[in-house]
Amino acid sequence: MDGAKKREVVIGAAMLVIGLAYLYLTTNLPRKAFIDAAFVPYLLAAALCLLGALQLLAAWRQAPTDAKTVATGAGPDYLTVGKTLGLIVGYIAILEWVGFPLATVAYLYLQFLVLTPLEQRVSHGRYLLIAVCAATLIFVVFRHGFDLLLPAGLLDFIE
Amino acid sequence: MFELLLSGFGAVFSLNILVLVTLGVAVGIIFGAVPGLTAVMAIALCLPLTFTMGPAAGLSLLVALYIGATSGGLIAAILLKIPGTPSSIATTFDGGPMMDKGEGIKALGVGVVFSFFGTIFSIAALIFIAPWLAKVALSFGPHEYFGIAIFSLTLIATLSSGSMVKGLFAGAIGFAISTVGIAPVDAIRRFTFGLPNLNSGFDLLVVLVGVFAIAEIIKVAEAVRREHKTAVGQVSMRSIRGFGFSLKEFFEQIPNAFRSASIGLGIGILPGVGAGTSNIVAYIAAKKRSKHPERFGKGCIDGIVAPETANNAGIGGAMIPLLTLGIPGDAVTAILLGGFMIHGIQPGPMLFVSQGELVYTIFAALILASVLMLILEFYGLRLFVKLLAVPKHILLPIIMVLCVVGAFGLSSRIFDVWAIVVFGLLGYGFVKGGIPAAPFIIGFILGPMAETNFRRGLMLSDGNFMGFLSSPISGSFLGLAIAVIVWHLWVAFRGQRSKAAEILRT
Repeated sequence: MDGAKKREVVIGAAMLVIGLAYLYLTTNLPRKAFIDAAFVPYLLAAALCLLGALQLLAAWRQAPTDAKTVATGAGPDYLTVGKTLGLIVGYIAILEWVGFPLATVAYLYLQFLVLTPLEQRVSHGRYLLIAVCAATLIFVVFRHGFDLLLPAGLLDFIE
Repeated sequence: MFELLLSGFGAVFSLNILVLVTLGVAVGIIFGAVPGLTAVMAIALCLPLTFTMGPAAGLSLLVALYIGATSGGLIAAILLKIPGTPSSIATTFDGGPMMDKGEGIKALGVGVVFSFFGTIFSIAALIFIAPWLAKVALSFGPHEYFGIAIFSLTLIATLSSGSMVKGLFAGAIGFAISTVGIAPVDAIRRFTFGLPNLNSGFDLLVVLVGVFAIAEIIKVAEAVRREHKTAVGQVSMRSIRGFGFSLKEFFEQIPNAFRSASIGLGIGILPGVGAGTSNIVAYIAAKKRSKHPERFGKGCIDGIVAPETANNAGIGGAMIPLLTLGIPGDAVTAILLGGFMIHGIQPGPMLFVSQGELVYTIFAALILASVLMLILEFYGLRLFVKLLAVPKHILLPIIMVLCVVGAFGLSSRIFDVWAIVVFGLLGYGFVKGGIPAAPFIIGFILGPMAETNFRRGLMLSDGNFMGFLSSPISGSFLGLAIAVIVWHLWVAFRGQRSKAAEILRT
């Protein structure tokens, strides 16, 4: 099975799994009559499963891609994607406890480092300065300009 | 009508709204110009700013962002030769060659002026069509709304780029996610897993920010480290008179502009096929009707007039179903709908009755924003060119932080911040799987409308399903929905692909 066909089969399988999972959750809904709160979810579950099966079938019957037409070159940089996701999750996890200003400075600084293009030099001082200025500006503008009480966390003493 | 419009102008010419609209247009142009940033991002990020504003000020800012971002795409299309937004894809075909010939400033001038022309054309259509359509829509009941919702959902799912199966799946999954929370009519909790935060379902803004902004940031992270610095074409404003082209050239382009504006307006009204398609269709139409089709692609102004007029004409077109029926045609109007809801306003026919002044203030803000776009985009070009060089690895994390602020600001809950990450991952999954995101959003918005009106319609017709078919409007829309699917299947079966679809695919 070539790459493109395999990818479409995986997508079809994922679509079918999502449909089946939604169907399973729908079966747990209480029933009162034929047309009730579960009626539309049942219709949707059936549609999702049907579309998943159709995608799977179409992908399975898909002719193999001509090897010459398959694009070559560097693939996606999943390591950077993973690091970015890790930073986002970590940022949100500490947001309430550490507070918006400190968590944002840490997140921005680390995220700048992770995303810096390979051909460019990392500038720690500049990154830290931008992170501090951006976090402070956003916090002050939203907290005092728009009355949005962003969590102050460890810096709770500041007004 | 004119009294209301005058009163609308009175409101937007107050100092605070004037400043907001000016800033909105400028920020919108930047988001449209920088590849990777979109109109949806611009509006999503500025929504939290409107929380404490009145509806007139807040909505004026949002429509100014919309106009700026739609037009701003032409800057990247001409100077970088890559479209800043999908609505400027066809602008690169002749914008790039004109830049190479040293006519960059002329290309930009033509683009800006005809973007203005397209916007004003569509706003005029909006002002004349919307109140009339709203009057007609006042007589609509649950059967009609159900029919319209199903038709819109089917149209967007089948006409989105990619396969019909994936488009329909995206629409259905959006509908399925909208079922989380308390059910309409029965008030039973569905799919809440005992979490009180899920009782009211997911907020539209959370879903939009996740699927469009967070997913985009994750997607950019895939390649940003291997990116090379992009060479930004330089243009000189010295010895430029007017907008860089002659009055004779302007009048020669009028038929092309009217044709393209009509295409943009018509396509803009249809759900699912917005400016991303209309600019290409208008380009193809202009080439077909031209006496010199061989000049297209080599740097002729006809090839800039057509896409830029059409994509901006989609603005008024997309606002027609949004304001009169409460149905967004694409992701940008979906987020505008979110903006309306934040201010406690439900778009639909009643809006024209209960909030007539606000509607005309929005119309006035659209006109003012168009004029400001014409001036700012051309004469502020040097500043926007400089902003094209801002590195993505600095810009995107700051946008991420603003997304977090926006989500948190909705109800001061960390739950909403986690939700944008979950929807960001879902959006990223859509990108990787080639599943279009627009039907997902429209499914999420129209799902509750379809379900509620389906249940109400059945109650009105004593459980008889034929009520949906016996109503002429509902029956027609449901018939059209079936016809759209059958037609799409027929085209797929015969293996035909339209020129526009081919360009979008490549």
